[in-house]
Amino acid sequence: MGVSSKTFTFFSILRHTTMVKQANSSSKKVSTEESEVIFVKENVSMRPTQDVSQQISGRFRILKRDSALFMTWIPYIPKNYVRTAFSVNSYKPSERDRNLYSIRAIPLAEIKSIWRHTPPLGWQYIIVVLNSGLAFPPLYFHNGGIRELLNKLKEHIRIVRSIHNANLYLLNEVIEDPLQKSLSSLELRDVLSVTSSAVLQEQSLPVFHSEDERSMEKLAIKGSTPSSGIDQWKFGTKQTHRHEESNPSAYQTLRPTEQLKETINDEMASTSVGSFELVESKLSDVPLSVWGRARLPPLESEEWATFLDSEGRVVDSKALRKRIFYGGLGHHLRQEVWKFLLGYHQYDSTYVEREERRAHKLKEYRILKAQWQTISDEQAKRFAKFRERKSCVEKDVVRTDRVLPFYAGDDNPNVSILHDILVTYSFYNFDLGYCQGMNDFLSPILFVMQDESEAFWCFVALMEHLAPNFNQDQNGMHSQLLAVSKLVELLDSSLHKYLKQADCLNYFFCFRWILIQFKREFEYENVMRLWEVLWTYFITEHFHLYLCVAILKKYKKKIMEEKMDFDCLLKFINGLSGHINLEAALRDAESLCVLAGNTGALCIPAGTPPSLTANMM
Amino acid sequence: MATAGTSNMQAKLVLLGDMGAGKSSLVLRFVKGQFQEFQESTIGAAFFSQTVAVNDVTVKFEIWDTAGQERYHSLAPMYYRGAAAAIIVFDITNNDSFVRAKKWVQELQRQGNENLVMALAGNKLDLASKRKVESEEAQSYAEENGLFYLETSAKSAQNVNELFYEIAKKLPKAQPIQSSGGMVLNDSPMERTAKSSCCA
Repeated sequence: MGVSSKTFTFFSILRHTTMVKQANSSSKKVSTEESEVIFVKENVSMRPTQDVSQQISGRFRILKRDSALFMTWIPYIPKNYVRTAFSVNSYKPSERDRNLYSIRAIPLAEIKSIWRHTPPLGWQYIIVVLNSGLAFPPLYFHNGGIRELLNKLKEHIRIVRSIHNANLYLLNEVIEDPLQKSLSSLELRDVLSVTSSAVLQEQSLPVFHSEDERSMEKLAIKGSTPSSGIDQWKFGTKQTHRHEESNPSAYQTLRPTEQLKETINDEMASTSVGSFELVESKLSDVPLSVWGRARLPPLESEEWATFLDSEGRVVDSKALRKRIFYGGLGHHLRQEVWKFLLGYHQYDSTYVEREERRAHKLKEYRILKAQWQTISDEQAKRFAKFRERKSCVEKDVVRTDRVLPFYAGDDNPNVSILHDILVTYSFYNFDLGYCQGMNDFLSPILFVMQDESEAFWCFVALMEHLAPNFNQDQNGMHSQLLAVSKLVELLDSSLHKYLKQADCLNYFFCFRWILIQFKREFEYENVMRLWEVLWTYFITEHFHLYLCVAILKKYKKKIMEEKMDFDCLLKFINGLSGHINLEAALRDAESLCVLAGNTGALCIPAGTPPSLTANMM
Repeated sequence: MATAGTSNMQAKLVLLGDMGAGKSSLVLRFVKGQFQEFQESTIGAAFFSQTVAVNDVTVKFEIWDTAGQERYHSLAPMYYRGAAAAIIVFDITNNDSFVRAKKWVQELQRQGNENLVMALAGNKLDLASKRKVESEEAQSYAEENGLFYLETSAKSAQNVNELFYEIAKKLPKAQPIQSSGGMVLNDSPMERTAKSSCCA
């Protein structure tokens, strides 16, 4: 197998704000009418989620204008939606998704390489990697035509086939493109957004201390004449959006921010470009915690009882999630409450129903476990995949949290239970199998549940939305890393600029944070605290990404002053393990999330893990 | 790539190999002089640096330690790209890990970097009683493929410093020292030098 053919996956996948920007302006500069169409292919699709039926189909073109080439991919608008053999369910992507994923006009000069994938089964696709190392999601060519495309390109630009990988085509050394500059000037939009945030924070400083929402109202002081200046904000405020949909009370918190943004729009509209840097520098100096609410003590039994009706239903799950978001759980409550947070139990289930479910699920677990336990040695000899999986699990469980008394010592039965659950899971989800990092997720779950079957089902529930972290193609990781990069760009443009010039925009130094949700970064108790906060999905389901930004911001000065390159940065980030103040980081992350508002959520591509089901929000 | 200064140079080194073969343990033994019985798995990658002295030249190794599971294979090129040296680690008590080591060798050979110094490390020598991969087999494989082979124990520290030393000596622009394709170092003078110069 061509091992290096998979190397594309270490590029982050670019699909969000850049494209929104292009949607807003570059299309004006490069309109189709004035361009010559060099190549066109219909029914080329992108897949925002793992769900193939939700792919977005569109038209792929190479355009030429003023001797410069551009690549575009525009989704079909739903009413003219071309039914392909694949789109039988006539999935209609939302306008937002279509705008989000459109590739309006990317100059070929910005493209570093194109990976061609022609799997024996399934559709052939390409992955376009930009000079920055970022990449667009795969473009599937349902009617073929990739070879044609490459041949066509060869007529116009220099393409070199990589000597290391026959499927990699390098496009660099393309003649400098005059239009590239005009496109990169679009960066202005991000500068604007960050500047706005800066003004926002600065004004907020003397006024309030975040204790409650009333004080936020004071912030709305300077009136809000709607502005016509910057359409991105208007775009942001008008969007209905996951933060708000999921959580009306969070909307309250966001509202003053939105009003201020409009105030700022007025100011910004009349501000010259030159002053941005000045304002922006103030952003970094503002202590973030002014926005985060004071954190509460953990929820304890007495208060927990007030959330339940006489038959054990959680009456107001939103209020419960909010309470846990701000304070976490007393340890003895975790066993009971995590099952709700993880989605193993429904909030409206009764004590009786939960007890029944427990018994039912235990039977189911035993059946699943028996599937591999009954494989004889003889059978195993001819079952390489089973042997390999079992051996991976064996290698990892013996080195999972062994310093904890719960897992310490020779022949510790809890280590065997870890093993059995992980092997059973690799049968339950045979396609995914076992991946390093799953052991890190399971360990605290088993520690909390103290029961093999219950731990298994809670782990299953968690994997329902975090499995994409472990996909072979690393797609789930890429979309999260990309979202962090976009959030940093929005919330801290000087850090973004630094990381860009240090060639660190792939954000791989955050890989461990995201893959196992900071499991290795905190003491065990704090890991449990953090996870229950994250699993409330209270303000946003992507709170962990804001946490990444918060921590990076916290150490930004050191990172930049010491001019860390990728190596140093990775070493530094790994070395932060055990040194991060969780409560402060949570407050900072909340501040950032509130501050970013809709614009922040727009930085996060649809389908970015965790992908939640409606009943969890 | 290895870059030379007046009398010191830097060299990027990457560790590759099956999960649980002992990559992180070898690095931690070399860099910190420590050994953890239950060294946790590496998620993503880890970076270390350590300097050794070879004759008049110091070599600062910038070491990338990678995740071993096949699942994370696609991340590896990011770490081995531009490396001056690679240590491919396998567990002498596990034949599959040797098979996997050979795959890593092939992959690196395909990268076409002729200057890459490659070492094959048969780790867990302290468990020699449970050996599944014979020294001769690994030795002859190494010779055929132009690597040098050393059996190590991160646990007992046996041959760990030697491994890095041998690499330092083989780096281009390091002092020319006659060395054949593969040798198992068991003599100790080197060990003393190693301890004094690199285990701060």
